[in-house]
Amino acid sequence: MGEIIIGILLILLSAVIYFNSGDFQQVNDSILGPGSYPKLVAALLGFLAIILVIKKMIELIKTKKPIFEEGKKKFFLNVWKEHKIVFLIAVSLGLYIILMNVIGFIISSIIFIIASGLIIGSKKKKDIVLMSVISVTVTLGMYFFFENVLYVRFPDGILF
Amino acid sequence: MLDLLMLGFTEIFQINILIVILIGVVVGIIAGLIPGFTVTMAIVLTLPLTFGMEPVMGIAAMIGVLVGGMSGGLITAALLGIPGTPSAVATTFDAYPMAKKGQPGKALSLGIWASFLGSIISFFLLISIAPQIAGLALEFGPWEMFSLIVAALTIIVSVTGESLLKGLIAGLFGLLIATVGADPIVGISRFSFDIQTLRAGIPFLVVLIGMFAISRLFNAVEKSELEKDLSEKQEEKIKGLKFALHPIETFKTVIKKPVNLIRSSFIGSIIGAIPGAGGSIANIIAYDQAKKWSKDKDKFGTGHDEGVVASESGNNSTVGGDLIPTIALGIPGSAVTAVLLSALMVHGINPGPLLITNEPNIVGGIFVAFLIASFFMLFAQFLGMRFFVKVTDVPNRILVPVILVLCVVGAFVLNNRLSDLYLLFIIGIIGYFFTKYKFALAPIIIGVILGPIAEVNLRRAVMTDPDWTLFFTRPISVTFLVLAILSIIFTLWQNKRSNA
Repeated sequence: MGEIIIGILLILLSAVIYFNSGDFQQVNDSILGPGSYPKLVAALLGFLAIILVIKKMIELIKTKKPIFEEGKKKFFLNVWKEHKIVFLIAVSLGLYIILMNVIGFIISSIIFIIASGLIIGSKKKKDIVLMSVISVTVTLGMYFFFENVLYVRFPDGILF
Repeated sequence: MLDLLMLGFTEIFQINILIVILIGVVVGIIAGLIPGFTVTMAIVLTLPLTFGMEPVMGIAAMIGVLVGGMSGGLITAALLGIPGTPSAVATTFDAYPMAKKGQPGKALSLGIWASFLGSIISFFLLISIAPQIAGLALEFGPWEMFSLIVAALTIIVSVTGESLLKGLIAGLFGLLIATVGADPIVGISRFSFDIQTLRAGIPFLVVLIGMFAISRLFNAVEKSELEKDLSEKQEEKIKGLKFALHPIETFKTVIKKPVNLIRSSFIGSIIGAIPGAGGSIANIIAYDQAKKWSKDKDKFGTGHDEGVVASESGNNSTVGGDLIPTIALGIPGSAVTAVLLSALMVHGINPGPLLITNEPNIVGGIFVAFLIASFFMLFAQFLGMRFFVKVTDVPNRILVPVILVLCVVGAFVLNNRLSDLYLLFIIGIIGYFFTKYKFALAPIIIGVILGPIAEVNLRRAVMTDPDWTLFFTRPISVTFLVLAILSIIFTLWQNKRSNA
């Protein structure tokens, strides 16, 4: 199932690239302009993605196994169980990146490490203390190393 | 060749560079021994740290990580029976039974020596072969370069992953990512869809961190949820373990059977030099061959020393082999060397057949750093083993969040741009789904790094002479293309045979 969705998305992607490749202005009279090579790659990718989708669809029909074998509700419940942590971690990573601009690198990193540590592992009191110590040490260590040794300016956030 | 080495020695023998290599080796060993965390991940995250360094120093640090990482998988493979990296799968076959029989120290020491000697043998192969190949490649025109890249990519696809179709799709996806941004010949912006971030292209480092670190971390938390009880039990097991290393005794054991060592190292070096094939394939083949040629076939799998030596020298010698096409042709043999090349490119050094002529100090530095890193690995493993064994205790709930922050910082360091982080997030998600549905990631990365080179050479070839048939009539060019087609046919044939 997943392959089919990936395949369809790739077909769309190659279509977008393919049809956007035509309108670059030709700078000189070279035979291959800026659009030709991407067009070639996109065409090949689209072609192979179509084969993949067809192949997987045939497999899916052949097995004749209903996707929702144990009922729709159970199916989604299993999917959720399998992906719950990944999903939560991905969401917190996304929030972390967005928040960094608002509350700055240091605070957002500390919150992120504690939060995702709790999502993955236990929620005992002892562990929360441990995670907090680690998050503060790691964040400050990285901050000072990169700011002073590599001269990176981290976002301070707009609030501060 | 000797002048290259001399230059390398003067470049590398500075106290700060030596320290950096040592740190790299230790970091590599740690990354290699923690199951689920790969050497590639460690190298990718080392890259941003090297931006502020001199090119030679940065490369030296990364070579250290690479050499250390290849040997780090040994520790968990021997003590827990789970390979810390895919490169140590065959190590579990004999090192783990040996450790269970009450000789964990012997298993580890044998593995360390084999790793070290395998590295040294592949070092000599590297320094004698790479300059020759680069010399030949100086004759290449744009036709040959383009065909070479086509061949390299198809070979990568046919040796990695289980499905040829998915591999090809992954490679083409990588090539397509690389077309976003400025056109490499006339410089106009392509496929940026008026998004400011995309105007300069998708930064290679962001793709690397997203694909190889973020997606792997997502996979690690997904897996750890399923194997929670298992890993806790193993932690307990390793804590109470007592062992003694016998460096001198085991050295004699390894040296007593030189044929096995040399055979495995040659196999490793050759497999390392094939684009896409690396330690994960070499250790299995070296083990298999060792068993085939051994007088004590029956002992394999029960804790036999030859098995440990074959697997560990097989995987460590891929490092030297992997560097051959990387240095001589500018074609990375694996995701790891792709990162090395991109480190060079960050410093404005163009990899390719001219690298040895134009930047002899860099190439010499790479050679010598590899040699030094092998020695450091030997000492670090023997002296620090007790510490390394403890590191296997660090649980995912601490590692994953900390490394995720390191990923974000690494991606930010490149351009100091927040928008790169949004890209990182998207690519991480893409990488997660690609891994989940078994699309190989190595072809994507190598596609991204070779894409612009392929395009430039293709367009240059047609600009020099509009005759398309030149790709098929120039002998070297056509050889590469035939090689590409053969590798596809061979894989199809092999798949058919294994299905039947």
